[in-house]
Amino acid sequence: MNAPPGRFDAVVIGAGVNGLVAARYLARTGRRVLVVEPGRDAHQSAEIGWVPPQLVRELGLGAQLRVEQLDPWITAPLQDGGRLELWRDPAKSAEAIGRISPSDGQKWPEFCARMRRLASVLEALYVQPPPDVETREVGELLRLAGLGLRVRRLGKQAIVDLLRVLPMSVAELLDDWFESDALKGVLGALGVWHLKQGPRGGGTAFNFLHHHVGCPLGVFRPHRSNVKELLLALPGVEVRQGSAVTLVRGGRATGVALGPAGDAIEAPLVVSGADPRTTFEPLARELDAEFIRAIRNIRGRGVVARGTLRPNHPPDFSTLCLAPSLEYLERAYDDAKYGRNSAHPYVEARAVNGQLELHVQYALAADRTLPERVAAALGGPAQAAQVTLEAPEHLYHGDLTLDQILFMRPVPGWSRYRTPVEGLYLCGPGTHPGGGIAGAAGRNAARVILKDAKRS
Amino acid sequence: MPASNRYDAIVIGGGHNGLVHAAYLARAGRKVLVLERRPRVGGAAVTEEVFPGFKFSMFSYVVSLLRPEIIRDLDLPRHGLHILPLESTLTPMENGDYLAAWADHDETRRELYRHSPRDAEAYDLYGRLMHHMAHAVKPILGMVPPDPTSLSPRDLLGLLRLGRHFRGLGGERFHALVKLMTMSSADYLDEWFETDVLKATKAASGIIGTFLGPRSPGTAYVLLHHYMGELDGVFRAWGFAKGGTGAVSEAIASAARGFGAEIRCDAAVARVIVKNGRATGVVLENGDELAARVVVSSLDPRRTFLQLLDGNELPDEFVADIRRFKFRGSSGKVNLALSALPSFSCMPGVGRHHRGAVSISPSLAYVERAYDDAKYGEFSRRPYMDIVFPSVIDPGMAPPGKHVMSIFVQYAPYQLNGGWSDAKREAFGDAVVDTVEQFAPGFKSLILHRQVLTPADIERITGLTEGNIFAGELALHQLFFLRPAPGWAKFRTPVRGYYQCGSGTHPGGGIMGASGRLAALAVLGDGR
Repeated sequence: MNAPPGRFDAVVIGAGVNGLVAARYLARTGRRVLVVEPGRDAHQSAEIGWVPPQLVRELGLGAQLRVEQLDPWITAPLQDGGRLELWRDPAKSAEAIGRISPSDGQKWPEFCARMRRLASVLEALYVQPPPDVETREVGELLRLAGLGLRVRRLGKQAIVDLLRVLPMSVAELLDDWFESDALKGVLGALGVWHLKQGPRGGGTAFNFLHHHVGCPLGVFRPHRSNVKELLLALPGVEVRQGSAVTLVRGGRATGVALGPAGDAIEAPLVVSGADPRTTFEPLARELDAEFIRAIRNIRGRGVVARGTLRPNHPPDFSTLCLAPSLEYLERAYDDAKYGRNSAHPYVEARAVNGQLELHVQYALAADRTLPERVAAALGGPAQAAQVTLEAPEHLYHGDLTLDQILFMRPVPGWSRYRTPVEGLYLCGPGTHPGGGIAGAAGRNAARVILKDAKRS
Repeated sequence: MPASNRYDAIVIGGGHNGLVHAAYLARAGRKVLVLERRPRVGGAAVTEEVFPGFKFSMFSYVVSLLRPEIIRDLDLPRHGLHILPLESTLTPMENGDYLAAWADHDETRRELYRHSPRDAEAYDLYGRLMHHMAHAVKPILGMVPPDPTSLSPRDLLGLLRLGRHFRGLGGERFHALVKLMTMSSADYLDEWFETDVLKATKAASGIIGTFLGPRSPGTAYVLLHHYMGELDGVFRAWGFAKGGTGAVSEAIASAARGFGAEIRCDAAVARVIVKNGRATGVVLENGDELAARVVVSSLDPRRTFLQLLDGNELPDEFVADIRRFKFRGSSGKVNLALSALPSFSCMPGVGRHHRGAVSISPSLAYVERAYDDAKYGEFSRRPYMDIVFPSVIDPGMAPPGKHVMSIFVQYAPYQLNGGWSDAKREAFGDAVVDTVEQFAPGFKSLILHRQVLTPADIERITGLTEGNIFAGELALHQLFFLRPAPGWAKFRTPVRGYYQCGSGTHPGGGIMGASGRLAALAVLGDGR
């Protein structure tokens, strides 16, 4: 530790999974790479989201990668007692759903197949830089045509589904298929996952599909994996604690100032996995006014408080979802719309080593009574004292709304990991394909960086 | 069958799109018959003397976006169309202040400056960008949507042309367009302005006719409509028709008759006759049968396909798509006869603001709350309202010294908890006038007569399913090649010889006439 400030070939800001992936790809080419992590939880154990197989293969993680496979993957209490459990086996889920609604149970396999097909289109889009629709380059045009053909091959139904479903609200999507409130609540929750929108908001069907990416058929919750732990264990990348601000001279990145002391670390390449807003705000004076305006206009509104609860009894579920209906979710959002924490929040609790890890939405600010409400929702005030919640933060560095994805992410015109500052790149969830996907942005960014390096 | 009963085309429904359609077919020499269920043409664009001496544009009340090529082709001014500009918008605020937009740009800017110097600056930039955007979108309104699932050379060419059109916009405008198509009007306006009442008033125009609130993604696109109306320089396409919106329908009907079309009122169609997979005519409710080579429905998609046809004439998948097509009427109308003009406490007395619109949209939260009520199946306790006084601009609408007041009200959900009843209708009317009263004390004592129209009433009178004023929601997933159903957005239908030409097809909505015209071009193009 505390090595003297020396020279590096690249500094990566943020030891999130994307930063680590980018660092690893750069280190593989023999570059000396430093990762700077401003937060405390660089060693957080589990990462949520799909780990693209390309990444697993290229970084040789296959042997040790452990992807959690919960079964049932969700449990939802029913209003009149009893519970709805959904399983990895769609037929088993269909049977469970059929007990509360025969028609929904019948439709389940078809619904799962249709959603899986749509998610597979997104998967193809996510493991490469976003399509550049303004391009005049032949290579890019060919790539676009290839994507188009790929989608066409899925058939007419898939194209229509894709065009129709993406702008829809998840409520409309689910109402088209199902009648059971409990089932629609469980699925609708994924549509508003980390989003300051209710299930009736347009584009929440996209958010639903985004989080289905990488999941097996019939599973509608992103899984956890140990990918971050594995990345941290890989050799060749040094990780230091501290905040970092990019140093810019003459429109070029020259390194970072490492906080708190502000020691300068020189490097010709800076890759930021941090929020684009915090990356560029200190550089505002160096940047074009339009660009900084676009950066400031990024909407990233944290609505999820995470925390833990120590239950009195060992939990008899893997993940419990408290979102009994779409209307429940919508009303929870109404509170947030007017700047309040939800009076009746949507809560999801995962059993991890006898503790419950909580996802509480919508929470806009730390609130003393929120833990009580969560505990009450989970089964009685007796447990209130044991709930701890962190203040909400926005993990995705920009909401996954239709105007902030693909070539619009993080800001229009700068969606391919490059920035107006030469030598400064972005690689975090604020870039394509966004949060909830482990490492895709980091890998895409590294590939763009290496391509640029080859050119110059 | 007697020869006089044989037509080249029968158009079902004499709304403005049906009439435009008939006029274009007749103009091309076809023998056309329009069948209208009501005693008068116009559909939702009618003027009626609801109370003796007081005339109302009963439903649709402003002319927006009537396509200039239609005005030209049909020579509508010669048939009596005269548009009077609607120049100002006054938004009373809850603190007694107001926000006004006047015909004079500099005056509007000064008014805005009073609220926020920053917004006054941004206003011009915003206006310019929106103007460019409107230019970019406009050609699409006059285009037959290509089918992205088809591999026919014609569709591929159409898609290519569309792609080229968008690329021609350049980065900045293309991105702005993507944002407009996907964002909520509140978020979009937040990027430009800080004055809440300004954002609320602009956002309100983005929710008209939808079952969405200003914070719902997908509402920003409608902000463009206002700017599109302003493009048609020579002929102001945004305003009142002299004689009410019924005069627009009458002018189009007159043009159609001039070209030789026959229009029959009080002639409700019971069903379309289909023989061997082709439409051959219609049966009227009185049992009469009329034969035609082509039958065109200007009714909304649900009526066009599920009511006028036997279900088994259509592929199952198509029927499922039409069933899924959303209507969800969300607006009502209150028409009042007044003994005098009301005085708004923010701008007392009678003034030029009565010549324009008064928007009851004091804040974004106000409009959003109005939506919240509707979301859960109630009408808004304090609704968003767009108020105009047509008799101020067109004195013929009311007896001398008296006035008519038209209030467009949102939200009033078609699917009201417990359903609509006479008592609910009156309660809704009370909520409307009570809310106006808060901004114009003494207003209630001026009311001579009151007509309250709920979405259920709109459906009953005009036939528009669920009272949706656009014949189907203008939501992103129901536009362009998805309107009304994927694969069937080109005015043709799965039944040969049966066409659709109403607002439930591309581009839909408003008194635009574009659907009627494009459908006519499709029919003529097919050589029918």
